[in-house]
Amino acid sequence: MLSRFSLAAALVSALPGAAAEPVPASSPAEQTPIAEAGHASPVFENLNIWGYGEIYYARPSKDEGRTVADMRRAVFGLGYRFSPRVVFNSEWEVEHAIASASDAGEFEIEQFYVDFEAADSLTVTAGLFLMPFGFINEHHEPPQFYGVQRNFVETLIIPSTWREGGINLHGNAGPGFGWSIGVVTGNNFKDWQFGSVTPPYVTAFDLEAAEPGPLQSTHQELQIADASHLSGYVALNYHGIPGLLIGGAVISGNATKVPLPADVPNPGQPRVSLWEGHARWTPGRLDLSVLYAGGHISNTAAANAANPDATNPIPASFNGFYAQAAYSVYQDATFRLTPFLRWETYRMGSSYEGTSGPVVPAGPVAVSDTPGDVSFWPQNNDQVWTVGANFYITPQVVVKADYQRFANNTNFDRLDLGLGLAF
Amino acid sequence: MAGRPWSLLPVAVLAAPGVAFAVDYLTGDQAQAGLFPEADHFEVRNFALEETERMAIQKRLGLQVRPKWVVRVAMRGGTMVGAVVVDDVIGKFDRITFAAGVGLEGAVRPVEILSYRESHGQEVRQDSWRNQFAGKTETSPLRVGDDLANISGATLSCTHVADGVRRIVAVVASLKRSGALK
Repeated sequence: MLSRFSLAAALVSALPGAAAEPVPASSPAEQTPIAEAGHASPVFENLNIWGYGEIYYARPSKDEGRTVADMRRAVFGLGYRFSPRVVFNSEWEVEHAIASASDAGEFEIEQFYVDFEAADSLTVTAGLFLMPFGFINEHHEPPQFYGVQRNFVETLIIPSTWREGGINLHGNAGPGFGWSIGVVTGNNFKDWQFGSVTPPYVTAFDLEAAEPGPLQSTHQELQIADASHLSGYVALNYHGIPGLLIGGAVISGNATKVPLPADVPNPGQPRVSLWEGHARWTPGRLDLSVLYAGGHISNTAAANAANPDATNPIPASFNGFYAQAAYSVYQDATFRLTPFLRWETYRMGSSYEGTSGPVVPAGPVAVSDTPGDVSFWPQNNDQVWTVGANFYITPQVVVKADYQRFANNTNFDRLDLGLGLAF
Repeated sequence: MAGRPWSLLPVAVLAAPGVAFAVDYLTGDQAQAGLFPEADHFEVRNFALEETERMAIQKRLGLQVRPKWVVRVAMRGGTMVGAVVVDDVIGKFDRITFAAGVGLEGAVRPVEILSYRESHGQEVRQDSWRNQFAGKTETSPLRVGDDLANISGATLSCTHVADGVRRIVAVVASLKRSGALK
């Protein structure tokens, strides 16, 4: 097999026009380049290819008939350096293996942006990019987080993968401070689903796939986005002490409101705000982290009042918290085994305006037209214990296993197995 | 948070950012002088590892090891006082150029980052992170998540620079043991 560098040389020699005017590198390599497995690949001098993906197996321990296996996502990245100061990056994702009109999968552009080093002290990003909230959203490749699936707080409260279109400025300030600030497209409640005939999800796997979180279901991902309202955000992190990260972020902006009949008063514009704080301490083999996220949506009373007895009214506030500990019990030149324990709580609706909250059926309800296919209507808040381990075959290829126990939606308890990689 | 979203922008301008990408911070000559200020001159020498030794290092480290190496030998009064190797690793998707210095006694000096080319992960340039390498030897794990603390959010850059230093320390030690580097 050709190394990536020798492949690059072969390709360049075979396609002389492909890099007719190469952008000068900032400095040439002093050593002979070597192939380093598991790293991104500069195919040409200025073109980079990378990727990641993950496969899940989820077995609900109290409802084994709903066991699923899923090619959850395959993502490939393409980047191009136009000059030492201008870089383009993009990521292209297929979810659930097949994307077509009759399948569950999706094909989507996860990132598409240009980084411009405006000065040695300022980088500007423009396009579709990831929001700098929490740990996972910007660093969501499977080897970078514990557990088969991403934690619930950083999916249901802070969406992941959460991207918006807009402009971002970021940089480091002083000893160990990093900052990020920007203006992006906001949320859209025009298509909010106040209810459904059957439960929107009946397993923990469905919970993450259905994206029921208040921001998950209203962020626009630059898909013909309503840009009449923009949001502003700022994020700050301190990483000046090796192994320690402390930070937080806040975003706020008006959103597109729920359309109501002309004779129904619909005052005010909903304003969506989200704030989070996080801390991580990784001294050697130990990895401790905590994260809190909370959000508020204003002016929801009229829309909720116009949809009485809804199973899914718009929340006025929502929040989540988790604490996690991991320790690498075994590590050698090739392998690493890291067990972990996590406790988390999420409330997709901690308060409401215009309603007392979701009105959901008690007892078993039909999930589909299939006779006997029944389950419980899920509660939109829970406390979850997760115990499991990541086993790294290489730093970029990980086999995962975990067990999750839910305090409220007890039929969600499950065993998960997963395979993830990134390069 | 009240007000228009872009009212936050002046906060960014007031901060004193230090980020950059595609930037050369140091030349190899500047890095070697910083790593071995006691040296009065440096000799650039080329070495080739024996194949059996190269394979043994690869197996021990779990890393690829090239056969040929360029080493900047730090000299003082005609005597070697250390060795500097300038090398590249991939951060997330672009090269990081760094320099590792190893003293006569085998102890590593703080790593120098010469060039960083990505818009994220440049926290590896922090003194506090680079200084962790000081005093490590061939017998140290020299591994992020073991004797080297990570920087959350710059995991790939940290891991790959640490891998690169571990490789250099092993190669320099091997060349010294063989008598080639003296």
